[in-house]
Amino acid sequence: MTTTLALPAAFSDLTPFAEQWGQATENDRSRIRWGASAADFASLYAAVMPRLPDILEELANCTLDGMDEAQTNLFNLAAAFAEAAPHHELYSGSADVPFSFAAPRFQPGHGDAASTATLLR
Amino acid sequence: MNDLSGATLRPGAEKFAHLGRSIDQIRTELGVGPVAIDAIRDPEIYALERKKVFGRAWLKVATDWEIPERGDYKVKEMPVADTSVLIVRGKDGKVRAFHNVCTHRGNKVVPTSGFESFGKARANVLSCRFHGWVFNTDGPLRSVPLESGFGQLDKACLGLREIACDTWEGFIFINFADQPEQSLADYLGDFGALFSGFPYHEATTAFRYSTVLECNWKVALYAFSEGYHVPTIHAGSLPGFTGIEHADFKLVGPHASSTIYGGGMDAAASTAQFAGVLHADREHGPRPELVPPGINPTGRGDFQFELPNIFPNFLIHLAAGCGYPGMAFFTHQFWPLDHGRTLWEGINYFRPARNAAERIAQLHVNALHRNAWLEDTGTMEDTFLGIRSGAIDTMQLMDQEFMIRHAARTLDQYLAR
Repeated sequence: MTTTLALPAAFSDLTPFAEQWGQATENDRSRIRWGASAADFASLYAAVMPRLPDILEELANCTLDGMDEAQTNLFNLAAAFAEAAPHHELYSGSADVPFSFAAPRFQPGHGDAASTATLLR
Repeated sequence: MNDLSGATLRPGAEKFAHLGRSIDQIRTELGVGPVAIDAIRDPEIYALERKKVFGRAWLKVATDWEIPERGDYKVKEMPVADTSVLIVRGKDGKVRAFHNVCTHRGNKVVPTSGFESFGKARANVLSCRFHGWVFNTDGPLRSVPLESGFGQLDKACLGLREIACDTWEGFIFINFADQPEQSLADYLGDFGALFSGFPYHEATTAFRYSTVLECNWKVALYAFSEGYHVPTIHAGSLPGFTGIEHADFKLVGPHASSTIYGGGMDAAASTAQFAGVLHADREHGPRPELVPPGINPTGRGDFQFELPNIFPNFLIHLAAGCGYPGMAFFTHQFWPLDHGRTLWEGINYFRPARNAAERIAQLHVNALHRNAWLEDTGTMEDTFLGIRSGAIDTMQLMDQEFMIRHAARTLDQYLAR
């Protein structure tokens, strides 16, 4: 039996995208993004972009260290969208930034820290 | 600042007028001819740089807010000086730097992984894992296991080997010279005054990236030292960056600076929403009044960020939220690992997010800038290959590349001394 990932009730329709894209850390989100197709980016964008004002309004009422599980899952989906949107809007669906350095060679010092960490220094 | 006659200046800006240069003045002082690339290509010059530049100049190695509490330490591997450097906040609150070298037989006191490591000294002591020699965080050797077995041991002379260390605006610098030729304040000189007063220490949310580039360190430094490349290299990540103007050229002793003005980006739809979160809030929104008065002296509304070059290898791009949404400033450093290998470090600094939506918006802005850095770094190894090929002997530099011309000249002056 599989457990469905929880989201706040108003966003339950985004559950498949939270399950496909949502990750807590930049390194884990990058791995998913690097393997995504133009169609993947397009469907994420089509699903999340119209809901972005509501998502940001929901998260504006949450502190980084005070989210419940459903809110954290919504945060992780929003984080993935925040990093994936340019690939649809600017890079024609390419998982790579065109004409650029190989992204996996960049080492984020914060890469394995949860993006909800209150302190990133 | 190029021609301020008749302009209304922000209070305090007049003190920095002597740093400003018109394009004609830049051309007269620095020349307009091709600049030789031997200093990039020749491994023997790199050997001289290690001694005459990195052995003598003040080098930024940390920030106060990376090691905020007593006992906090950072270890930075520095192949350019064949050493590992321990930067530690002592029991007295003072930050000191030491060679991370046990005075027993030379082992690292703090074992490390990667180029930077962080930790906290328990009870304000650091113990070498090899034989258990214990050092106070202010340097002295505190205890030695089986001390009587040494016959004689002058513990008073066996403290950690200290490196000159000082702090400016929360940025921690070291100097490898036994007796630095100048204090940090004198070394930074007018640059320290020009960039002082901004609340750098409040922008403690840092997204840091690094990579090892197969190129000479100056190829990377020079690529980030001009705005000429923006419309071409960043056509992907910064489309519609309108009206960019690289202006207000300043020569500041061994350092230099300049300003990027512009109409901003025609933001993508998602960027507009994320920017709205940050711009709607005074904490994260544009704060042009926080920009020190010598920067953007006439208070232009299209200020984006200041683009300096702090000799030899440090850039602080000061934006105060006026450029990339919500970003207070960002820094670059270029650490030689060898003649043809460089550790690049880029860090985006934001003020702390007070709610989850602000952090999401920061993640988006950070990703946009990280992607622009991927475009920047994409040129560097190719450039170094081209320089090593022997096909060219000089680089051709236009006005907006004056900081490259100035840095190359400063380097020559250091190497000649």
